[in-house]
Amino acid sequence: MKEQFLGFGLGLRAPHLEQIITEKPAVDWFEVISENYFVAGGKPWYYLNKIRENYPVVMHGVSMSIGSTNALNIDYLKSLKETIARVEPQWVSDHLCFTQVGDINSHDLLPMPYTQESLEHLASRIHQVQAYLGTEMIFENVSSYLTYKESQMTEWDFLAALHHKTGCRYLMDVNNVYVSARNHQFDAMTYLNAIPKKAIAQIHLAGHQDFGSHIIDTHDEDVSPPVWDLFTRYAQQLGPVSTMIERDDNIGTLEALIKELDQARELVQPFWQGMAKNE
Amino acid sequence: MSDLAQLQQHFMALLQGTSDKLADHITEQGELNTNQRLSIYQNAYKIRLRAVIEQDHEQLGRYLGDDLFELMVEGYLQTFPSKFTSLRNFCDQLPQFLSTTEPFIQHPILAEIATFERMLLTAFDAMDAAHLRVEALESIAPENWPSLQLVLQPSVQLVCFNTNAVESWQALKEQQSPPEPQHQSSKCWVIARDLQRRTQYVYVDQQEFRLLSLIKNQTPFAQLCQSCLNELEPSLIAGFLIEKINSWLERGWLKQF
Ligand SMILES: [Fe+2]
Repeated sequence: MKEQFLGFGLGLRAPHLEQIITEKPAVDWFEVISENYFVAGGKPWYYLNKIRENYPVVMHGVSMSIGSTNALNIDYLKSLKETIARVEPQWVSDHLCFTQVGDINSHDLLPMPYTQESLEHLASRIHQVQAYLGTEMIFENVSSYLTYKESQMTEWDFLAALHHKTGCRYLMDVNNVYVSARNHQFDAMTYLNAIPKKAIAQIHLAGHQDFGSHIIDTHDEDVSPPVWDLFTRYAQQLGPVSTMIERDDNIGTLEALIKELDQARELVQPFWQGMAKNE
Repeated sequence: MSDLAQLQQHFMALLQGTSDKLADHITEQGELNTNQRLSIYQNAYKIRLRAVIEQDHEQLGRYLGDDLFELMVEGYLQTFPSKFTSLRNFCDQLPQFLSTTEPFIQHPILAEIATFERMLLTAFDAMDAAHLRVEALESIAPENWPSLQLVLQPSVQLVCFNTNAVESWQALKEQQSPPEPQHQSSKCWVIARDLQRRTQYVYVDQQEFRLLSLIKNQTPFAQLCQSCLNELEPSLIAGFLIEKINSWLERGWLKQF
């Protein structure tokens, strides 16, 4: 799947559905949470089908648990494949992490150790999942609050190595990079620069809570000034990549999110206009 | 077991509160110590799942009040950690938990409120199906009526409660104090989406509940008529049922067959 530049999008959230359908706001595309559509019908599908008439849609999952050492969850993949067939998204993403251990799901995006074993495990799972789904996927970097003793390389070297090994592309959450950079005291630009530009298929921007000693990636605040700054510097080098605001909690008004989206647009348009799409 | 598998097991054991072996895997760095780093994950795990219970069972939460709600959350997370990939199903066993666990077991209304809230959710996102139209019924030849099997919409759920769970839920929803909990003779409800996809709950008497249950069990029209023989004059039964069927059509409870 070659991800095209869709422009500037938003995560689709329940409080805004009616308004999006009636007002058709100037948002270029929407991202939906895949698992929210593992239901048979009713309002969730009614609204999504209406919105699909007017906007490109991409799917973003939270429960694939691609990094888990469990056997692949075939029931999950089956539901995902059926949902992909119904939604016909521009692309499908999930996170580079594990969520499930044994038969228990943590519903949290737990970080992988950056080891050779993890690398090989992820590479083989990515191949298996993509073969089953019949489509390439893109994978998002998660934020983290700890570093494993086992890790043999940095997160950015790990992502670069995984890309070289599998060709897989990334949904780069710039806020997550900033959060981890602060929590682990590394330079966020070093991280971003280490990942080949051609491996970046989508960008997330989100908010966090800063406790001074550490940052928690809450996705419940406006994008913070240092994240805007990081995004702007990164975007100059990156070229046009589909970018969206991801707000998961304390969702607020659609207008407020669109204002943030316009801010993203204004910040990068001077650089992105006339630049070739990143491929 | 591989190193990766063991690390993942230790992480889950930390979240489940059964072991803190994960600490041995963590590098000391920066301003936070290892315990603080681990508790970020432990807190996030609980907060996320508590929020799901709060959202899916808003009125139950109000009915319980803060302390009992926290007790329920703690107990439920321990007893029924999520085996689902979608949070939509996480609370599926909450009615079971409430009806089998002290002190909640002492208050049968709690499990019934939880059941009611789960049924509202099920009605909300059940499969869509074309609605039966009155024209379709009118076109059925008289000789085919006795064997006719009506079909309920996938969103239609039938339930009877022995407490005033629904009345209490409704009061809380309207920001009023709920009535005193009461055991009462069984009171039956239909929970379903209407023609505008709005989730509705409707009180039905024993007779209507029986008829809908028979339909759910694929009972032909002739047997629906028979089931009314103790209640109505035989000559009145067909007309009575047609009237009922029309009201179900208007409510959007019947599926095109
Ligand atoms: Fe993200």
